Amino acid sequence: MSTTTVSATTKWWSGGKSPFNVEYGKLMMWYFLMSDAFTFGAFLISYGTIRFSSTGWPDPNKVFSSYPFMPEGAHAPLVFVSIMTFILILSSVTMVLAVHGGHQMNKKVVVTNLILTILGGLAFLSCQAWEWTHLHHEGAWWGSNPFLNADGTQSSTNFTNYFFTITGFHGFHVFSGVIINIVMLIMTLNNVFEKRGHYLMIEKAGLYWHFVDLVWVFVFTCFYLI
Amino acid sequence: MEQSHALHIENHGGGKKEIINVTIILSVLTIIELALGFWLMSITNETIRLTIKGVIVILMLSKAFYIVAYFMHLKHEIRNMIMTIVVPLLLFVWFIIAFLTDGNSYKNLRNTYDPYKKERSTEKVEKKEAVKEIKKAE
Amino acid sequence: MSNEVLHAHAEAITVHGDHHEHHHQETFISKYVFSQDHKMIAKQFLITGMVWAVLGGLMSVLFRLQLGYPDAHFTWLEDILGKWWVKDGRITPEAYYALVTTHGTVLVFFVLTAGLSGTFANFLIPLQIGARDMASPFMNMLSYWFFFTASIVMISSMFVETGPFSGGWTAYPPLSALGSASPGSKTGMDLWLIAMALFVVSSLLGGLNYIATVLNMRTKGMSMTRLPLTIWALFFTAVLGVLSFPVLFSGFILLIFDRNFGTSFYLSDIYVNGVGALQNEGGSAILYQHLFWFLGHPEVYIILLPAMGMVSEILSTNARKPIFGYMAMVGSMFAIAVLAFLVWAHHMFVTGLNPFLGSVFVLLTLLIAVPSAIKVFNWLTTLWKGNIRFTPGMLFAIGFVSLFISGGLTGIYVGNSALDIHLHDTYFVIAHFHIVMGVASMFGMFAGIYHWFPKMYGRYLNNTLAYIHFWVTLVGAYLIFWPMHYEGLAGMPRRYYDYSTWESFKQFADLNRFISIVAMIVFATQILFLFNFFYSIFKGRIVTKQNPWNSNTLEWTTPIRPGHGNWPGEIPEVHRWAYDYGKDGKEFIPQTTPVGAEESQH
Repeated sequence: MSTTTVSATTKWWSGGKSPFNVEYGKLMMWYFLMSDAFTFGAFLISYGTIRFSSTGWPDPNKVFSSYPFMPEGAHAPLVFVSIMTFILILSSVTMVLAVHGGHQMNKKVVVTNLILTILGGLAFLSCQAWEWTHLHHEGAWWGSNPFLNADGTQSSTNFTNYFFTITGFHGFHVFSGVIINIVMLIMTLNNVFEKRGHYLMIEKAGLYWHFVDLVWVFVFTCFYLI
Repeated sequence: MEQSHALHIENHGGGKKEIINVTIILSVLTIIELALGFWLMSITNETIRLTIKGVIVILMLSKAFYIVAYFMHLKHEIRNMIMTIVVPLLLFVWFIIAFLTDGNSYKNLRNTYDPYKKERSTEKVEKKEAVKEIKKAE
Repeated sequence: MSNEVLHAHAEAITVHGDHHEHHHQETFISKYVFSQDHKMIAKQFLITGMVWAVLGGLMSVLFRLQLGYPDAHFTWLEDILGKWWVKDGRITPEAYYALVTTHGTVLVFFVLTAGLSGTFANFLIPLQIGARDMASPFMNMLSYWFFFTASIVMISSMFVETGPFSGGWTAYPPLSALGSASPGSKTGMDLWLIAMALFVVSSLLGGLNYIATVLNMRTKGMSMTRLPLTIWALFFTAVLGVLSFPVLFSGFILLIFDRNFGTSFYLSDIYVNGVGALQNEGGSAILYQHLFWFLGHPEVYIILLPAMGMVSEILSTNARKPIFGYMAMVGSMFAIAVLAFLVWAHHMFVTGLNPFLGSVFVLLTLLIAVPSAIKVFNWLTTLWKGNIRFTPGMLFAIGFVSLFISGGLTGIYVGNSALDIHLHDTYFVIAHFHIVMGVASMFGMFAGIYHWFPKMYGRYLNNTLAYIHFWVTLVGAYLIFWPMHYEGLAGMPRRYYDYSTWESFKQFADLNRFISIVAMIVFATQILFLFNFFYSIFKGRIVTKQNPWNSNTLEWTTPIRPGHGNWPGEIPEVHRWAYDYGKDGKEFIPQTTPVGAEESQH
């Protein structure tokens, strides 16, 4: 932490300035994300509650075991979802680089990395679309669960119910993140931030995008791994 | 607003090197998670399975830490701001404990007082066409 | 949705400070309708809240009519309300449940959340912390219009063919999830859910704004420990809302899926008469209750905290004494805010919750008695030996303390899971939460309106009408809800249409009639207040003093009718806390007065 200007004696709380040394928009973004964390938290905890109150649950490795153009009869658990995970992590990295470029007022870096982030987001959404279509062809949908519990007993539909609801809600967040990033890209290309003298908007868009990545870390673990 | 912005420029640490380091850490953690996930498939012992799942959850939380602390830059903010964000998240502790305990208790209560349900939940079935739930009759 | 808003508009208003400088021509639309002035938005919230309060109150009069006169035939009602609502001069059972449900929803969310914290957070935060406006006036405006849209949807649900939602304001599934189970769970419920979702968006937009404003926009010298207690209370309220409403939102989304997309998140083992056994399997109705009360309990404090804050401020101002134990007040509000998140399942002791888990919730629940008692003690000691001015605002503040004590004590009864086996779902619970949360918060709201009306409209309310309003409402509130304790202890369950068919509750027929009569009188008195309010906006006595209550806080340093931007010149700097009353022989010392050389320490 660069404490050069942030000396310990600064009276942060005495009024007339931000106690956290951030503009209000970023503060609001953070607290909005906290609130969104409770939305996702409530979804995932509901999923956990139902799983704890069920006598059995399908084995994710048997359910999510395909990837596009896979040879017939192959069984490849975790492969496709790990690709999705890496896509999202990489798009998060390019977003950090865009924010970083914004700090240095380097328009070119911002534009390149924003484009990469948008592409990453679109790639993730395409993967998700493929996976949903694939599962739907297998007969899975809201209110319809073709998979059996790991021990071979009848499974309730809540496995697919929660899967589609939560990944759908996450996908919706990725989608709105992509839209936000496209808006940011257009604004950058129109020199809006150059004229304004700072790229703080990119930073806020970045916070949102990282949050989407963060949520995926939890969704990925809860649905695919354990 | 303006003066806080001016201060703000000074307020970001790290730099490119940190970004690269965190990317590597996140990738390694994900690979370990995936390896554990693969290992999990071949194990039937419930205790070991639970232990591995516990490790995966810890890895998940450390990934979350790296994303929030470095990508979202929280570690480089003023301590008080970190506190206003981290402390409310502690509410999740009781949120999770209470919900999951009660979910588990619901299962036990039903298994105790609804023998028919318990019997049915242990019946093995053949994999068949999707069990469609009819949409509720209007 | 709100995140795009954040992005698009957070930057637009960065150079916030010079808002007041360009006196652009204001049209009627930009001044009164799509206004971005926090004071106008506060008035919009207040008046919309009042409309809702009248509707909600009217609903309670209607169902009290049924409860008080179960055998009577009010044929004239049929002409007013129509055949769906009234048949043969009696409120139909469907209408009765719809009325009870909508009364609860409307008063809890639309009146006491939006009308109370929406009004006073918007009005007081910028004025009392010394800011020109909210952090984002645009989001503030959106917050009101989301609330307005939610109101429209909620009202329209009353006019659909199958009637409004009628499964209780908590909307427990399976009843609320299955349209086939009750006509009230059909279209009315869909509209109810849409209205509530819009309401959550509104409260989120508002809450984020309040938090960012209190943290970032305080004027020079206004440290957090110099904030008036109103601002602390509204700040904690906003935090509670931002963290708990999303959980309700998630719960509602799952409910929407259960209703429309054939999922069974909350449904399992259900048989509906006339439809047969449903295939839904594996869900848990208790899960919904957990999600609902995870908001539902903080919601109680979202309602109560603003009232507590305003009452603290008004008591101190009108007792001409510093508030007793300022830091203890802040600390107890913080404790209440934290505990609010930890106790939700005490609403579910008898609904299938694990009994052991219930005992943990009993412990956490009873802990709330500690900060509540600290607050009561501090209010009473603030009044102690004070030089009290019994203004209408002060009377309502004292009334609040009285109601908070009476209602809070019965909370200890119902907070015990063992006692709750007997008391749950009886009139005892109704009495408890109406006194401690409903009427007490209404009193806080009235206190706030009477106290800040001169600041809002530059005129005074009529005092005689105000005193009548206070005494009838206070006595009436006790007369309505005190007898309900006895009915509840005798086991009289709530939410029933007609008690005269029960042998054991026939003894309460006269008491029920008495309650209904008082309820109607109290409702009529509120109309008196409304008359006073609207009459005084235009014809009230004009305020000529900048600081009519000789108060310390910053809002009284603005002009009598402040424009957009609040202070015509520089924002004043703050040098002391808000409670220097009767110090060093001076009656009051405003926050803007610099600390003198010989002044004693506070």
